[in-house]
Amino acid sequence: MKYRWIVGCGEFLDTAFHAWKQFRPDELIKRVEVRQNADYAFDCSVLDTLDPAKGSAFIAFNERFGNFKRLELMQAAIDHGLNLEPFISPMANVATDVVIGPNSFIGHHACIGHGSRIGFNTVIHNSVQIGIHSTINASCWIESGVQVGDNVEIGAHGILRMGAMIKKGTTVGDGCELGWPRLYHEDIPSKTVFDLRYDEPIYVYPGT
Amino acid sequence: MRSRMHPKYYLSQEIFEREQQKIFRKVWLFAGLASLLPKNHSFITRKIAGIPVVIQNFNGELRAFENICLHRSAPLQQGFTGTRPLVCAYHAWSYDSQGQVKNIPDCDAIYRLDACEKKSLKLREFSLRQIGGLLFINLSSDPMKFEEQFSAQFIELLQSSAESYDSEVMMTTWHAKFNWKLVYENLRDANHVKYLHGKSLAKVASFPFSTKDGASMEQMELDCSPIGLRKDMRTFSYGGAEGTIEPIRWVPWLDKVERWGDTDAYFNWLSYPNLHIASGNGGYSFTIEHHVPVSPGETDVEIFFIAARKKVSYADSAQVLLSQMHYSKQIVGEDIAILEAVQAVLHEKAPLPTQGAYEYANRHIERWYTTLMETDHEI
Repeated sequence: MKYRWIVGCGEFLDTAFHAWKQFRPDELIKRVEVRQNADYAFDCSVLDTLDPAKGSAFIAFNERFGNFKRLELMQAAIDHGLNLEPFISPMANVATDVVIGPNSFIGHHACIGHGSRIGFNTVIHNSVQIGIHSTINASCWIESGVQVGDNVEIGAHGILRMGAMIKKGTTVGDGCELGWPRLYHEDIPSKTVFDLRYDEPIYVYPGT
Repeated sequence: MRSRMHPKYYLSQEIFEREQQKIFRKVWLFAGLASLLPKNHSFITRKIAGIPVVIQNFNGELRAFENICLHRSAPLQQGFTGTRPLVCAYHAWSYDSQGQVKNIPDCDAIYRLDACEKKSLKLREFSLRQIGGLLFINLSSDPMKFEEQFSAQFIELLQSSAESYDSEVMMTTWHAKFNWKLVYENLRDANHVKYLHGKSLAKVASFPFSTKDGASMEQMELDCSPIGLRKDMRTFSYGGAEGTIEPIRWVPWLDKVERWGDTDAYFNWLSYPNLHIASGNGGYSFTIEHHVPVSPGETDVEIFFIAARKKVSYADSAQVLLSQMHYSKQIVGEDIAILEAVQAVLHEKAPLPTQGAYEYANRHIERWYTTLMETDHEI
C-alpha cells in the first residue's frame, strides 16, 4: 500500500488529513507535523524521512502570510522529490473539464462550473460555489460558503473570507484579501485588503 | 497646574473653523508621498483644511493646484491616486503645468472667450516642498518659509530618514471620533505607554521622559508677533530616538532592505500640527500617521506603512507591510479607544485637566495655541 503523507500544521492539517483518510482507504494516510521556529521558518528536516518512491504528499497549512508560507512548504516538498496531487472531495460537484493544479484542495459540497481553472496550491473549502469559466489562480484560500460568479478571475495568493460574494465578470488582482462579507461588484486592484477590523480597505501602491 | 485647554477647544465648531483658518491654512502640512507620483501624469488628490487639492506630476515636476475646474467646478482628478493628464472629465478643459488653461474644446465656436479672458484662467496653485519621500504643502497665498516652521536639525533628520523610504506603500484610513489635538497631547505624553499599552508596546519598548521647571517657563513672556509665534512653533516639531527597544528579532525581510542608520531605538518624529512618523525597529520600516481634522469631534487617521528601500524585490513584501499594519493596529487602536472615550465625556463644563511637571511640552503648546485662538495675532 502506498503512503500519502499529509504535511503541515494547525487546523488545516487536521482538515486535510481527515478528508484524505475518509476517501482514500486504499492508501496509508499519515499525518506529518512540521514545526515552525521563533522566526516562523519551517523545520523541514521531517521531509528527509519521507521516501518519494513509497508515496506522495499533500501540503496542509493555512493562509498565513498571504498563503506564502504554504507555498514555501510546498516548494520544500517538491525539492525533496515528493509528488503533490490535489485533493478533490468525491462529495464536491466539479465539472469534468475543470483543470485543478497540484496540491489544491476542493472541499466537500464545493461546486465548480465548467471551463473553470483552479491553480496549484489553492484551498477551496466546503460548500464554495464557483461559476463557469472562472479562474482561481495559484495559492488562493477560499473559505466555506463563498460564492464566485461566472467569468471571475481571482489573482494568485487571494484570500476570500466567509460571506464574500464576487459578481460575475469581476477581476480580483493578486494578493487581495476580501474579508468584508458583501458583494464585490467591481474589479479590485492587486494587494487590496478588506479586513473587518479596519474602517476602509487597505491599499498597496507599488510606486513604480 | 490647570491646563489652559477649555473643553470648547475640542467641541466648538467655531473654534474648529478658526483653527483651520489660523493654523491649517497658514502652515506647511503633510500632503502625501512622492512615491505615489512616480511618472508623468501621476496624481494624488487630497482635501487639506477643507480645500480639494490635486498634486500632479508634469514630466517629473510635481505641482499642487486646487482640484476644481474653472468652468463648472468639477474636480479635475478623482480618486486618491491615478495616472491621467490634468483634464476635466466634465467638458474636457485641460491645464498645463502652470495651472493655465491649455485647451478648451470648441472654444471659439461655443464659449467665445477672448484671448485675454482665456489667458487669465489659471488654477490656484499651492506651494509644495519635498523632503526625501515626503511632500508638504502650504495653502497660504503668502507661505512662510519651510525653515521658519521647522528647525534645521528637524529637517535634516526627517530628510535623512525619508530618503530611505521604499516606493511600495501600504495605506488605509481610520475614522476616529475625537479631536485632532488629543492625539498630539497623547503622543507628547510618554507616561501613558506603560499603562495604556501595558500588554503591547510597553513589552517591547520604553520611553524615558523628564520633568522641567514649569514655573520658569510660564513666566517667560510669549512674543506674539508673527515672527515670535513662528519661532515658538518651530520648537513643536522634533524627532529622534525617543525610546529604547528590545533587541530586534531577526526575520528574513530585514536582510532585504537598506536599513536607515544603525541605531537600535524607537524613533519618533512629531511635525506640528498633524503628522507623526515612527520607526519602532530602528529604521527598518516607518509608519506615517497623518491626522486629518474633519470636525471638532472627528479625525481621519491616515496610516502609511513603508519599509526601508529594498535591496532586492521580494514577492511577499506587501505581506511584510500588512503584518506590521496589523501589529500597529493593536497599539494605535488602544490610543484611539481611550481618546474616543475622552472625547465622549467632554462637555462645556467638564473640569479642566490637571497637568504635572512632566507635561511641560503640552503646556508650552497650549499657551501658544490659546493665544492664537483667543487673540487677533497671526502666524
